Amino acid sequence: MKYKSQRVAYLFFALSLTLFSLQIIYGFIMGFAHMGYDVLHDLIPFNAARATHLNLLVVWLLSGFMGAAYYIIPAEAEREIWSEKLAIVQWAALALTGVTAIVGFHFGWWEGRKFLEIPRPLDYLVVIDVLAFIFNVGMTALNGKRFTTTSIVLLLGLTAAALLYLPGMITFESQVLDSYFRWWVVHLWVEGVWELIMGGIMAFLLIQLTGVDREVIEKWLYVIVGFTFLSGILGIGHHYYYIGTPEYWLWIGGIFSALEPLAFLGMALYAVGMARLGGMNHPNRIALFWTVGCGIMSFVGAGFLGIAHTIPQVNIWTHGTLITAMHGHLAFWGAYVMIVLAMIAYAMPQMTGRKLYTGWLPEAAFWVSNIGMLGMTGAFAVAGVTQVYMERRIGMDFMAVQDAVQVHFGGVVLAATLLSIGIGMYIWNFVQYGLPNDEAVLSDS
Amino acid sequence: MLSKSQARWFFVGGTVFFFAIFLFLTFDTLREIPARQNSEAMTESVVRGKHLWDAKNCMGCHTILGEGAYYAPELTRVVERRGKEWIAIFLRDPEAMFPGQRRMTQYDFSEGEIQDVVAFLDWIGGIDTNGFPATPDLGRALVVAIEAPTTAPEYFGTVCVACHTVAGSGGTVGPALDGVGNRMTRAELDRWLSDPQAVKPGTAMPNLSLPDTTRGELVDWLVSLR
Repeated sequence: MKYKSQRVAYLFFALSLTLFSLQIIYGFIMGFAHMGYDVLHDLIPFNAARATHLNLLVVWLLSGFMGAAYYIIPAEAEREIWSEKLAIVQWAALALTGVTAIVGFHFGWWEGRKFLEIPRPLDYLVVIDVLAFIFNVGMTALNGKRFTTTSIVLLLGLTAAALLYLPGMITFESQVLDSYFRWWVVHLWVEGVWELIMGGIMAFLLIQLTGVDREVIEKWLYVIVGFTFLSGILGIGHHYYYIGTPEYWLWIGGIFSALEPLAFLGMALYAVGMARLGGMNHPNRIALFWTVGCGIMSFVGAGFLGIAHTIPQVNIWTHGTLITAMHGHLAFWGAYVMIVLAMIAYAMPQMTGRKLYTGWLPEAAFWVSNIGMLGMTGAFAVAGVTQVYMERRIGMDFMAVQDAVQVHFGGVVLAATLLSIGIGMYIWNFVQYGLPNDEAVLSDS
Repeated sequence: MLSKSQARWFFVGGTVFFFAIFLFLTFDTLREIPARQNSEAMTESVVRGKHLWDAKNCMGCHTILGEGAYYAPELTRVVERRGKEWIAIFLRDPEAMFPGQRRMTQYDFSEGEIQDVVAFLDWIGGIDTNGFPATPDLGRALVVAIEAPTTAPEYFGTVCVACHTVAGSGGTVGPALDGVGNRMTRAELDRWLSDPQAVKPGTAMPNLSLPDTTRGELVDWLVSLR
């Protein structure tokens, strides 16, 4: 760590990991409900657990992105954060808004729109908070010694993410229009501008960890995010097949969705290629594990499992089944969870001066959590394929099929236990690092 | 070899070009939606139903137009599948229809609210969804083998099948009714349908308060199942 104010990233990372743990707990509540043990029904009905699970994910990933930006932008711009105080206030506001929203869900204070359940008054707070954040990192970058491509891509992604939150705040009386613009937020986030954020963080990590020339890494960054938008913007068509929108979306969505894995394939080749080119000499191997792992798993989860069901001829049967849950879990894990965990794994030794990245614990955390998530994906896939054939293609009753796939949720829960153990080890490692301290400043290698 | 500035132009140019196309398609889509969603049929009741749909976060368990959660049934064509009457009975008391099964929250809707939710679902069912949800294409082979004896009354096809199976299709909450005519007489069936609790206290079978004609049709048909 070169600049003292970079330490503020720690707050965001700690918030991220706390909310991530909570998210996993709510996942278990739903897993057990699917197994037939809906024991918390009167306290936390499924829809409350579901809204909480999704929104915790969104809030903790945003917190992770913010933490990453507060660490990366000063390093790239070669100066302190414009206002550390504003960063702390903005962190506290994010935590407070997030927690209020989550608590509110348990009392029916929500909007009932998947991924955008946060009620309108809190939406305004989120917008103000994100604007304060962008202002802060933006001023840091603009007044810095240099404005690198990595900073540009990262800031572009963060600003676009903030702007794209707005279409989700328009009120519609028609379910069709509501859904149309809801995807402007959700799709253009996760299959668009969030990939810019991911690409920016990945480029920074690869520059730091592999020692490959910045010019080479940043050039390919442009190519990859170019492919992201080339395929991802019109790839939104795969959400417009069956919601009351015109038939031409079947063609457009089908073709551009088929191109979407290219961006993720690029991301995977990029991470692996740069790591090989640089010789993997950095002592913090585990951060490189997470970075390269992120490239590969995002291709498998978001790219490959995405195209596996976005072709219209397949999607007509799989739309609205557990197949979506299968893809969703590995996609978010590979692309966004892993990049945040990579960033934390890289930044912690830098911020605290302790080099706790060797030994069995961080490495076991990586393997156990990844194997757990792959296991969950497999169990969801079996349940989903069964549902598609029995309910959608043979025409059996919904609940009869749900009873038939109940056993696979035992598999989901077992694999999720493995994932939790891995994440538990990761968090324990995080705690061992302790707090950022001034001695770590300038001791940076 | 590609230079960095060429790579930047690829990114900026591609993004602007495809976003422009997207905006144009959005413009066209918004023009076409009113006809495809049958905007004229969007009564005030439908809009109230949509607000209830959102307020209770129904999407947190169900899917509609294939979007939502995967814990409860897809509802795009639910009015066609179950009928308005069944949905109304279900919303009054979710546990009456699927006792001991996966639970839905009892929302204590007023009768007016129930009508609004049904109106909303009915409107959803009329949207041109490019063929979603598709008609099951593999089931036919199974149905041919065990064809239902005669055509079931409409009430049976929408309400009763939620729990009872005849000729291989239907729910699994209540017993299958194949051959029920061999087991029960006309009078027994009539008494059972009039007041299940009186015949077998504690039964999961709800009292559906059927009009005489509907009950008569059902009994006639059930007796014929031998």
